[in-house]
Amino acid sequence: MSRPSLAVWKFASCDGCQLSLLSAEDELLTLAEEVHIAHFLEATREVAPGPYDVSLVEGSITTPADAERIRHVRSISGTLITIGACATAGGIQALRNLADVEAYTNLVYAHPEYVSTLAESTSIAQHVPVDFELRGCPVEVPQLLEVVSALLAGRKPVTPPHAVCLECKLRGAVCVMVAHGTPCLGPITQAGCGARCPAFNRGCYGCFGPMETPNTASLSDRLHDELGVDDDDLARLLRTFNADAPEFRAEARRRDSIAAAREEATT
Amino acid sequence: MHDIHVIDPVTRIEGHAKITLHLDDGGSIADARFHVTEFRGFEEFCRGRPLDEMPALTARTCGICPVSHLLAGAKATDALCAVRIPPPAVLQRRLANLGQIVQSHVLSFFHLSAPDLLLGMESDPAVRNVFGLMAAEPEIVRRGIRLRQFGQEVIASVAFDKIHGGGIVTGGVAEPFTTAKRDAVVGWLDEVHASALATWDLLWSVTDQFADEIAIFGDFDSLYLSHCLPDGTWEHIDGNLRITGADGQIVVDQFDPADYLELLGESGKTDSYLKAPYYKPYVDGDDPRPGMYRVGPLARINNAERFGTPEADARLALLRERFGRTATSAFLYHHARVLEVIASIERIAALMDDPELLTWPVRADAGVNALRGVGASEAPRGTLFHDYSVDRQGLITGVNLVIATGQNDLAINRTITDIARAYVHGPDDLTDGALNRIEAGVRAYDPCLSCSTHAVGQMPMVVELVAPDGEVIAHRRRD
Ligand code: SF4
Ligand code: SF4
Repeated sequence: MSRPSLAVWKFASCDGCQLSLLSAEDELLTLAEEVHIAHFLEATREVAPGPYDVSLVEGSITTPADAERIRHVRSISGTLITIGACATAGGIQALRNLADVEAYTNLVYAHPEYVSTLAESTSIAQHVPVDFELRGCPVEVPQLLEVVSALLAGRKPVTPPHAVCLECKLRGAVCVMVAHGTPCLGPITQAGCGARCPAFNRGCYGCFGPMETPNTASLSDRLHDELGVDDDDLARLLRTFNADAPEFRAEARRRDSIAAAREEATT
Repeated sequence: MHDIHVIDPVTRIEGHAKITLHLDDGGSIADARFHVTEFRGFEEFCRGRPLDEMPALTARTCGICPVSHLLAGAKATDALCAVRIPPPAVLQRRLANLGQIVQSHVLSFFHLSAPDLLLGMESDPAVRNVFGLMAAEPEIVRRGIRLRQFGQEVIASVAFDKIHGGGIVTGGVAEPFTTAKRDAVVGWLDEVHASALATWDLLWSVTDQFADEIAIFGDFDSLYLSHCLPDGTWEHIDGNLRITGADGQIVVDQFDPADYLELLGESGKTDSYLKAPYYKPYVDGDDPRPGMYRVGPLARINNAERFGTPEADARLALLRERFGRTATSAFLYHHARVLEVIASIERIAALMDDPELLTWPVRADAGVNALRGVGASEAPRGTLFHDYSVDRQGLITGVNLVIATGQNDLAINRTITDIARAYVHGPDDLTDGALNRIEAGVRAYDPCLSCSTHAVGQMPMVVELVAPDGEVIAHRRRD
């Protein structure tokens, strides 16, 4: 039986997620024995195209050419897994969705007319069907390996369904909100990191993105009412690496409008 | 020189290195250009963010050298707060940067370049990658893997995590160092030092086989820019800048990196998303090329008199004996990287003996005390500048990032021009061997793009041969 093939694709990203895979050096070499790693084989009409059994996709869609390319990748991939905040939620660069792209390119480049870019940075799932989304900025390697081997073996990957909050409890870390009044997104953030930040007395800033059906509004109200975090800061807290994840995006917008309404009332 | 062929945005191929070779009227190569085709927009979307978020935000620029961005970002925010960070925090940050240099250089050497160097440039591309090398030389690859793990663990001991760690913060670092962490690092030292020396022996033993490449791969005069101590000792994060010329003359010394705009101009190119800085005083008019300078390992070893560590210095002397005081060939970036791995390990060993490493406090606390702050450090690929402006509330109003790959851009173009002249003689001559050499010429600089778009395997690239009138007369794409 021939080895299943695996392709890794990069869109707008920092490469941290695929480098996480490379950092799992020993496991990567084992993986290389089990699967044929066909990296970045961007198929064209001339070159024999895939298909690949499994495609890992890192990065978000920011250019018209990439919007085309991801459709092509989908069409030649058996299973398509998106890895990391960029691919699953538009990434840190989705912060630009809030502003005017022209202002960006003018600011950064002397010849913006040659910069071809879309107004928004969007997740892969907004363009094509995705079989599995693995969150994190970057992804956790054990989780990535679990997902790849599960899908190769045709079983459902085992990833935690709960929030970072529970991971704190599991490792016996003190709650930073209760003990120090530090704002923390742990209660609404997808588990997987082992509560790394709260364990070091820092609030979680949600790099793993929203968990399934998070109660975002109730946490944000609590941060506002009990810890005195103001609306602008709350909106910013929700707008980092997963700014374009629907749950975070919606709550950040709600905070914006509350702040705007208050401003209007005072003037 | 003929007009630059403007790339139609629609034909841009994201994720590929794009190279255009421009012909003159006689059909010879007039110029070659390397294009970067990704745009994320950090300079703009960081506006409005609180200053202490900046190290973690900008770390997401690059997953290969996130620690470099964390450090330059943290230093820029230190400057905004006008704080001097506590001495143990200085040591921890130095440690993280040394770990970063080790892991990044090892990745470049073993995973990306060793297949070319050890299996040969003409070998079958299907096996000319780290997996092929693993089959042929498993011990060598294992050594690389272990060295890289060491670098990653050193980083994680300060930053909490290998990629995008949160331990490096405005005002210092998040946590005091512990004896447990120290002992873990010390436990590695004998092995990795021996491995680094063996890596040098290996590289030195094949150096003769690459006499042609050494002569053709970017062997030209340029300026070199890096941090350097006043006495000429190699430096990787603190202090000031030095610029030397190809003749070894010091052009500028102990220049405060905060004033980098006085030294460096930035030309936004029409055909790439990369900004290409140049040394201002040498440029008069539109052509930035007289101001070409190189950064990174080659620049650092050319600017420094010595590493200040025994085994690295002994080997630096060998290199100088063979290639002169100033190493001008871009091929010698490989040698400079291995030397820096040795020196970094020796520096890490010295830090482990410093009792101050284990002390505290490790973080200075302050609000906004300056409206502009510049942080600079030596990233593995070269000098990195983060320049932030804030308002009185500490919210970012302006960001400028000057990255190593951009600073090497003019030199990369010159290097591939030289290689193309030697190996490409017209439209029918875009052979695999020529493409491999162009790729290897780009890789000598280890541009971010080189690891980024193809960590494993060969570089996907598009090479176009462009006639003086702008018509693309030959096109080769390698996926
Ligand atoms: S999700 Fe984070 S680590 Fe992964 S590619 Fe994007 S910025 Fe990098
Ligand atoms: S605690 Fe939150 S911010 Fe920190 S690593 Fe985990 S998910 Fe990311």
